[in-house]
Amino acid sequence: MGRLPRWLEKPLFYLALGVYAWLLVLPLLTLLSASFRSDADLYAPGLLPPRPTLEAYQEAIQKYPVGRYLLNSLVVSLSVTLGVLLVSASMGYALARVRFIGQSLLFGFVVSLLLIPGEVTFLPLYLMVQQFGWINTYWALTVPFIAAPLGIFLLRQFIRSLPQDLFDAARIDGAGHLRILWHVALPLTAPALGALAALTFLSTWNMYLWPLVVINNAAMQTAQIAIARVVSVEVTSWNVVAAVSILVLLPTLLAFLLAQRAFVRGITLGGLKG
Amino acid sequence: MMVKEQDFSRRSSAYHVRPGGETLEALFLLAPGLILLLIFLVWPTLNAFWLSFHRENLLGTQREWVGLANYAEMLRDPAFWRAVGATFLFAAIVVPVQIFLGMVAALMVARPFPGVNFFRTLFFLTTAVPTAVAAVAWGWFLHPVGGLLNRWLEAMGLPPQPWLTSVELALPTLAIVTAWAGVGFTAILLTAGLQQIPEDLYEAARIDGASAWRQFWHITLPLLSPTLFLVALLTVLNSLTAFGQIHLLTRGGPAESTMVWVYRIYQDAFFNFRFSYASAQAVALFLVLLLLAGLQFRWFGRRVHYG
Repeated sequence: MGRLPRWLEKPLFYLALGVYAWLLVLPLLTLLSASFRSDADLYAPGLLPPRPTLEAYQEAIQKYPVGRYLLNSLVVSLSVTLGVLLVSASMGYALARVRFIGQSLLFGFVVSLLLIPGEVTFLPLYLMVQQFGWINTYWALTVPFIAAPLGIFLLRQFIRSLPQDLFDAARIDGAGHLRILWHVALPLTAPALGALAALTFLSTWNMYLWPLVVINNAAMQTAQIAIARVVSVEVTSWNVVAAVSILVLLPTLLAFLLAQRAFVRGITLGGLKG
Repeated sequence: MMVKEQDFSRRSSAYHVRPGGETLEALFLLAPGLILLLIFLVWPTLNAFWLSFHRENLLGTQREWVGLANYAEMLRDPAFWRAVGATFLFAAIVVPVQIFLGMVAALMVARPFPGVNFFRTLFFLTTAVPTAVAAVAWGWFLHPVGGLLNRWLEAMGLPPQPWLTSVELALPTLAIVTAWAGVGFTAILLTAGLQQIPEDLYEAARIDGASAWRQFWHITLPLLSPTLFLVALLTVLNSLTAFGQIHLLTRGGPAESTMVWVYRIYQDAFFNFRFSYASAQAVALFLVLLLLAGLQFRWFGRRVHYG
């Protein structure tokens, strides 16, 4: 294999990057293009819409409570994220820094819970939620996910890695565990909390199977399963389907662009649990 | 691994608390989470096993103990085995494709260069795309009439393909969609892994005149193996439990060709109203996932290089 001339290496590298990035994003670009097409132009060839229009977005918003879908997803994702942060911080701190009988046993128990996939629990959980009368409520979409073994595990590991001297100093000053958690541990845990928040928000926003089975009322649908409904109704109007999908994509896309570091760290940490 | 746990938690002698003296405070911090874990995770898990040993009457109102009858039926059920076959075929396509695509992306953006952040954003972007949106994007990209892919095939003089509506093509097509949706995730983890490899190893190799290809095989791949192993495990587990994109694009069809394991469970529980039979299949899936995780650690765990 002959070597390339040096002056060619850089342009070729950028060309390869550009082509690869373009291919990866292409399906999303065609979706974006479809959302700006009128019914008449929908099947017109070319990647760019011949006459860009907002018709599809207007139709989508008139026919479907898109704002409500997004609000549902937002309420659910934010509540779960907040709950996961609270529970994970307090349990993680207790498992890392408070001495009590059976601590390592309890930690082992939490780690073993990491192995249980949602696909195993969702049927009994459905029956339980049904008995609670939680079908078609935010309760069903939030409460079962607030205690997350992964979050507890991650924060326990992080708080344990903080220098012991800080905690000793606070103890000597007479601070109780709650005050230490709030004033010493949490401020230092901010990067881990940010990463966990990003990870939890994303995975809750993406939840599909669970909302599909516990929500059957249009007003309570989350954005994900609302898309499934729109797809089954608008069999031929792909521009409307595309418009709804782009509107659903925007919040996570914006969050990702604004907090890419937190997302990347969250995924790296979350992936490392194994 | 990528994050080394530094354990500073040596027991200091600065203060003395008798063992168990902080149990009350611990209880206060632990109780809410522990109660939630027991109700919404432990109990349903036990219940999944309990359900799988029962069977409901035709009205679904009462359950009676049937022992292993559900499992016996499952093992004789051709529909179940078809679902298992489809699931493994699906995973066998998703895992290599997703790791390859993610690896190419990670190799390009792991080291800094002018504009690296822009390309990282693009390569990692699919992590921010919800499953349903990814499915719809591909549904349109592969559309028989309006889809860009078939347009290109026609332009090249090839016949357009019924990507999602043919019995042979639907499952592989869904696997590609799934792999695409996972590229960002894989690229993020592999990039983090690549950045852990010390730069001076490559410098030394260059001085010795090693080609880029040899550097990849003798430095990158061995040192990346722990990350690669982890990514493989996560990708396998994810692809064996795929559901959303399949529900949205093919509903298990055509002719049940994309009826994977989780979809079978969903179908049996919510359309055939056989919760206990579905539970038996869910428990079987759980055992397979555990077995695979264990096997992967035993067989590959020893051979990977922990730098």
